[in-house]
Amino acid sequence: MKRFALAGNPNCGKTTLFNCLTGSTAHVGNWPGVTVDKREGTYKKCAEPISIIDLPGIYSLSPYTPEEVISRNYILDEKPDCVINIVDATNLERNLYLTTQIMEMDVPMVIALNMMDMVEKQGDKIDEKELERRLGIPVVKISALKGTGLTELMEKAFETSSKERKGKTVLEGCEIYHLISDVRIALDGQNVANPLFHAIKLVENDEIEVQMHSTTIKMVDEFKQSFNNELFGTDFEALVADARYKYISKNYSPLMTKKEKGVKLSKSDKADKVLTNKWAGIPIFIVILFAIFHLTFSEDLFYLGSIFSLPTLEDLGVAENFGTALLACFYDGAIFSPGVILFNLMDLITSTVFGWITAGLESLGAAEWALSLIGDGILGGLGGVLSFVPQIIVLLLFLSILEDTGYMARVAFILDRIFRRFGVSGRAFIPMIMGFGCSIPAMVNTRTLADERERTLTLRTIPFFSCGAKLPILTAVAGAVAHILGAGDGSIISFLMYVVGMAVAIVSIILMRSTTQRGEVSPFIMELPAYHAPSFKGLMIHLWDKTKHYVKKVFTIILASTILVWFLSNFNWSWAMTGDINDSILASLGQFVQPLFTPLGFGSQLNAQGWVFVVAAVTGLIAKEEVIATFGTLAAIFATAAPEIAVEGATDVMTMVLGTGITWPALIAFIIFNMTTIPCFAAVAAAKGETPKGKFKWTLLFWVATSYIVSAISYTAITMFASWSLWSILATLGIIIVSVVAVLLIRNYNKKHPVKGVK
Amino acid sequence: MPIALAPVGQDLKVLKITADEETKRHLEDIGITVNSVIQVISRSGRTSICLVKNSRLALDSNLSMKILVA
Repeated sequence: MKRFALAGNPNCGKTTLFNCLTGSTAHVGNWPGVTVDKREGTYKKCAEPISIIDLPGIYSLSPYTPEEVISRNYILDEKPDCVINIVDATNLERNLYLTTQIMEMDVPMVIALNMMDMVEKQGDKIDEKELERRLGIPVVKISALKGTGLTELMEKAFETSSKERKGKTVLEGCEIYHLISDVRIALDGQNVANPLFHAIKLVENDEIEVQMHSTTIKMVDEFKQSFNNELFGTDFEALVADARYKYISKNYSPLMTKKEKGVKLSKSDKADKVLTNKWAGIPIFIVILFAIFHLTFSEDLFYLGSIFSLPTLEDLGVAENFGTALLACFYDGAIFSPGVILFNLMDLITSTVFGWITAGLESLGAAEWALSLIGDGILGGLGGVLSFVPQIIVLLLFLSILEDTGYMARVAFILDRIFRRFGVSGRAFIPMIMGFGCSIPAMVNTRTLADERERTLTLRTIPFFSCGAKLPILTAVAGAVAHILGAGDGSIISFLMYVVGMAVAIVSIILMRSTTQRGEVSPFIMELPAYHAPSFKGLMIHLWDKTKHYVKKVFTIILASTILVWFLSNFNWSWAMTGDINDSILASLGQFVQPLFTPLGFGSQLNAQGWVFVVAAVTGLIAKEEVIATFGTLAAIFATAAPEIAVEGATDVMTMVLGTGITWPALIAFIIFNMTTIPCFAAVAAAKGETPKGKFKWTLLFWVATSYIVSAISYTAITMFASWSLWSILATLGIIIVSVVAVLLIRNYNKKHPVKGVK
Repeated sequence: MPIALAPVGQDLKVLKITADEETKRHLEDIGITVNSVIQVISRSGRTSICLVKNSRLALDSNLSMKILVA
């Protein structure tokens, strides 16, 4: 099968085109660096099926970040049958810079002039026939978004792929062209493929090339001694870049006729005046972030219930029936947020359906063990997790909107000023906020960071940005804490927990930057895409992909581990079913490690059943949803069931609280432990793949140590101050702030006493 | 003068880039080369958003001090 590779600048529409051509649903976002790995699909509408390869965006063939290396290596080493170079027609000059480099390789290529709809909308024109003539490469006008011109593009690419093409360069008029020719002839003599391309990169002193052709580089070095340009000296790389741009602006740029001359401030620029403002930028971002969490978690939308002291359904004396239960999904003394409404509806559906299943089994006269396995084990476990799926979707929807509008790139920019003080560039914000959705793509996205230490730091802190699968732990346990404290719903506690996670991330970045990962923060250079409204279709495709992932996980890995937990908690070591949970296999395993967790508040101070928390935390390594599934399964074994709590999933936790005597500060420590410890297996595997050799074991150790220390400190501190409840929270926040300041002081000391040998 | 101090909304010519080799190369690849024309569209503190060949580039304050324009 023929292989066509899509290459082009970041955010020029490669993935949109890829999705159009192959019918895939790959993730598209409105910020540079969404695609971080190559991806394959098949185009079927040509004479024969063609494999299409989507590559990460690149500005040039001299890579700056690791994901750009992937693109360069693919085009050079895998030798695709044709390179489809996507050129963003709204930014012709910058995009053609890459084109002039790909041209230098001996590979068939076609130019797809994308975003033509935007160009025409502005009333501008491009003479593509003349551009094609001057470049000597076929040019096809397309709009990947609208799906126009794609058939012609593919036919042209198919036709071109069967013709050989020799590399050619725009540098022929350049004053160092004879050096390039000499090096090319030398490389040709050594049978190097793509001699022209390699010769130019070698003259540019490209790091990878110099290593590859260490003997030929001497030619360049000798030449340099007898050469001097008044502007660039012997900086050939700057000279070549300048020559390329000059050629482009002289020969290609005039082919575009603009309706309006000069630069006009666009709507995006005006929006940026506010959104990236020095004073307003960060407060606006915090309000948006809070709004997202409020709309996802709050059981009192905009605090209307509290402000107007709205009556509960019980106060109104509404009869209890299914209609009321349905109404209670939307309103009960307060209007619920969209996230909570969807949660309640899903919960109503699962509990009703599960009720029918158990009733049906009972009427069929199923054996007691089967009732226990299906009722307590499977349904108890899965029900808890399934109910949370809609709420996770709501959170993901908001995160997708942030991505699609182009706001993410701005936040990275406004946070850069602050992040820089902590020791990472604002670019690291993007993988971090992706972490709120799922740690795995977030970890892979650290490839877009230029500096290795910065990648390590960011990767290690990603689990602290609590992922969607940890959301059930947060909500359920925080709900129980709020119930114990009699402090309304748990949404404020949930939000605080998110903040604590971020604070832990910041503190650990600072600590690592001043100890094991010292070095300069890499510069922040980022292209800000124009804002655009998110497309409904795009959002739905994105959400469907994520939802599929969660639901699939529920019915595979979580179902299997729930059955395992049920089995281990109902059978003893002689493989007989036991009525007493404390005889079970799980109990003896749990009790064995339980003492380790005493400083965290859920160890030896609990009664004989106290091991349930340890077991739940350990099952979280399989998948974080499993923590709540384990609670659901184990809640059934406690004699005293807690009264029903309106807050989602909290009833099972309350049963645990009553059954084990755990205190609320220990519950908080339990949340923090789960948030900051080793992520699920899948994320651990992703982390291993993105970590340089030998560093991975330290990353694991870092997670274990951080979670243990932070939860132990939180437990001790909160218990100490627990008598004043409200003050305790403030005091704990105070402790966090004081530590942050202390660490900042250490950093300043480090600055004044630099370690030699560290740049 | 460095970009960080240059007037907003005017065409500026890049004279010199004093960043390290790797960063300089990346800047050149995205269109900031010696002799090229850029414009500062907005600035907060010393960080700048610049118009470079019809695209908006955000640059941090350190870097804004290392690109000299006139």
